[in-house]
Amino acid sequence: MFRLLIKSIRSRLLPVSLVIITLMASMVLLLSIERIQKATETGFNQSISGVDAIIGPRSSSLELVLYTVFHLGRPTNNITMKTINDIKQRKDIEYLVPIALGDSHRGFRVIATEKNYFKYIKYSSDKSLSFSDGQAFNEISGTVIGADVAKKLDYQVGTKIHISHGSSQTVAKKHDDFSFEVTGVLEKTGTPIDQAVFVDLKGYELIHLGWQSGTKIFNLKQLDLSTLSHEELTPKTITAAFAGLKSKLTLFRFAADVKKYPNEAISAVIPGIALSELWSMVGIVDQGFELLSWIIIVISLIAMVSLIISSIDNRKREMTIYRANGATPMYLSTLVVLEAVFIGLTAIIGAIIFVTLVTYLATEQLNLILGITPEFDWISWDEAKVFAIILLAGILSSLVPAIIVFKKNLHHTLS
Amino acid sequence: MILTTKDLRYTYQNGKAINFPDVELDVGKKVLIVGYSGSGKTTLLNLIAGALKVQKGEITLAGKNYSSLSFSQLDKVRADSIGYIFQTLNLIPFLSVIENIELGVKFSKNRRSNVGNLTQEIVRLLTSLGLSEKVLDISVNQLSIGQQQRVAVARALLGQPVLVLADEPTSALDRESANNFLNELSATFDTSKQALLMVSHDLSLAPYFDQVIDITNKNV
Repeated sequence: MFRLLIKSIRSRLLPVSLVIITLMASMVLLLSIERIQKATETGFNQSISGVDAIIGPRSSSLELVLYTVFHLGRPTNNITMKTINDIKQRKDIEYLVPIALGDSHRGFRVIATEKNYFKYIKYSSDKSLSFSDGQAFNEISGTVIGADVAKKLDYQVGTKIHISHGSSQTVAKKHDDFSFEVTGVLEKTGTPIDQAVFVDLKGYELIHLGWQSGTKIFNLKQLDLSTLSHEELTPKTITAAFAGLKSKLTLFRFAADVKKYPNEAISAVIPGIALSELWSMVGIVDQGFELLSWIIIVISLIAMVSLIISSIDNRKREMTIYRANGATPMYLSTLVVLEAVFIGLTAIIGAIIFVTLVTYLATEQLNLILGITPEFDWISWDEAKVFAIILLAGILSSLVPAIIVFKKNLHHTLS
Repeated sequence: MILTTKDLRYTYQNGKAINFPDVELDVGKKVLIVGYSGSGKTTLLNLIAGALKVQKGEITLAGKNYSSLSFSQLDKVRADSIGYIFQTLNLIPFLSVIENIELGVKFSKNRRSNVGNLTQEIVRLLTSLGLSEKVLDISVNQLSIGQQQRVAVARALLGQPVLVLADEPTSALDRESANNFLNELSATFDTSKQALLMVSHDLSLAPYFDQVIDITNKNV
């Protein structure tokens, strides 16, 4: 029976192939949307771990998370180092890691921070940052680079770099009067950390000493750097600070207190809550795409049934010959249902291959644009259930033409 | 007797009814049913093939009375005991010659068991019908009408069904081809085991048959 089925399908290859392609494309669309959405959400959620709150100027919480963690967008304001030092005095604080943003190096964001960044900031499920080569900076001229930076720019420990003023990828004004030396290269994390260049806050402050309103006023080479005091190199303002608390039970109280801080308009944003706002916004769009995909799947199944029904008419002679030679109506109906199973299974196998390809390409883009590297499975249990539903729907729809064949009287076709 | 029909009467949906003459067919015999178009020849064939339910009268084939059989049981009788040759378009175009002939025993274990080596038997039948074994694996679309009819005969004879039914198999052939066809059919047909019932409007074919039954003017 299987041999007859294959030969029959081969004789109608073009229409059958079109139905398979339509069904396959609709499944690829549905699954790609789900996979990319889930992987992006997971990738985002895993990008920062162990940070209980992000302290920054009072503004949109989502915006603060996006530019401090994912390096998307630009900071709108700064907060003072005095405020951070006040908050550091609180008894519920375990650590406070200040960061300053604004500069870049050959398209990669520069994050000015303290050495404790590499101790306290974690990713994925509480994994600590580690170095594939070298170590954290000890001097103000030291810099640590992420794995992707090292790979793309072919940097290693000892490489000297200059940082550009601003975050533009075009030719920017360089801080060419002071170079930083790579002291360490971080292991790959699959997060935006891989695409960052880290410098000491003091070094960052130093290179901006000769700048005013975005313009270089004097060259650092004219200065005797050894005469600069600790206070002169301590930044007055920073972009934000990552906070870790001794107990998560105090988190909401901490956030409320920070919001009430009297000397500056600041807030403490809980990253998970801010991201959930993002997913609820994105979720509405995703639901729309999913609905559209299911509609396309239903249309494809209808096309498959239409194809089979119209082919029954064209295959009247074929069916008659089988019946005249003793084939039962059940045999012919089974042939029809098997054809639907064949179409469904072929479309599913094709969809698995293509969706894997699509998500592989999406991984590259997600890494390029957002710095996250989500993990993709070959096929998940949920996806297998979706395929099973579609296959079952295909089989059930094929019962319509199968019943038509079953009820066809032989004598009508023998004459 | 391999086949007997008795007092067969069939009423169509439009009310027209036909009383068919009784048919008796024994092993080795060839019977020709003649009549003009619309006289009921194909209806009689359909009744004997089990494609139509007997409304009135009796049909017995190889000891089985059709009146007591369901459609599914008739399907089994057709698979085991009847080889069918159509007027035209006998073959499935996407199957090769050998695959088309194999359909003759595909749906019947009984008929299959009558054949030892399937390929050898198919080659024997084709050769006796004037076809070379080289045609076995070619597409049927490459054969002439006459060659296609011979392949259809081979399929109908494969597995030695007791009754071979032919529905105007020569109507698409010229006179010479029709004569050749009937000569070869007669030569290949196993007179020790099989009977042939053919319908046609062409009375000139009568010399090839043992008995001719005219069903003209049987309408009621």
